[in-house]
Amino acid sequence: MVSPFKIFPFVMYPFIVGSLITGCVSYRVIKAVEGRSVPDIFAEFLVGTTTLQEALEALGAPDQVAELEGKDVLIYQQSLLFNSGLSFGIPLTDIWGSGFDFSAYGELVRYDLVLLSFTPDGILSEIASEKGSRYPYLKTILSDKKGN
Amino acid sequence: MKRFREPLFVLLLVFFLQSCAGWAKNKDYHPFDASGLDKLIPGKSTVAQVTEMLGAPSNIVKLSNGNAYIYRRSLSKGTGIWLLIVSFGNYDKHYDQIVIFFDKKNIMTHYGITLDAHKAAYGLPF
Repeated sequence: MVSPFKIFPFVMYPFIVGSLITGCVSYRVIKAVEGRSVPDIFAEFLVGTTTLQEALEALGAPDQVAELEGKDVLIYQQSLLFNSGLSFGIPLTDIWGSGFDFSAYGELVRYDLVLLSFTPDGILSEIASEKGSRYPYLKTILSDKKGN
Repeated sequence: MKRFREPLFVLLLVFFLQSCAGWAKNKDYHPFDASGLDKLIPGKSTVAQVTEMLGAPSNIVKLSNGNAYIYRRSLSKGTGIWLLIVSFGNYDKHYDQIVIFFDKKNIMTHYGITLDAHKAAYGLPF
């Protein structure tokens, strides 16, 4: 019987090499973005002056609306998920009975947020902002600081 | 150079034999039409006129001086690519949103509009 390696060398070898390599090392990167980017509004919005109408014209519809202690709160947000994983294994299960596998995975969700609070008359009374996307992925996910 | 041709060919073949790609598209659909919003007049238009034009809202929130009617729909697009030992995934979700504010007498006072759903795009995570 003629070996298939002699008839289809360009099929058999890549198949075996590919199967072994994919069983050994893999690296994965996933990114998920939800919502639009949140603008930096501190320069143009002034507490006690800016109105609800001006805010809606500048920023559009908020992602969340709520009432908080008699004030109307608008929240604009964008979430950024970044996931990466590295896996290294030696697939010896067919010949050895067990294999080696080392894996490291990480997932980080960061938020860009702007919170605007308005009085019942529609005057801006408070601004809060957080730019989570400025934190670098690896440094943030590897940090041991509490709350970080 | 000639002796590298064969291994290179094999390597490329491995690369493409083990590769695949996929695309996905999801819609959270609400059939409101924002093109007639300019016919609504703050201080005059009522809840009934708004709901007649836009239909039932996705959500209603009670506020300090009335209510907010929220109309929302989304479009998301996902891309996945597997290249031998490396895989990439990208997911992009955007919204069309209209938030209409009413006073306690159910008269429209303000509205905000964002039509971004069409910005959802396929791509790579870089």
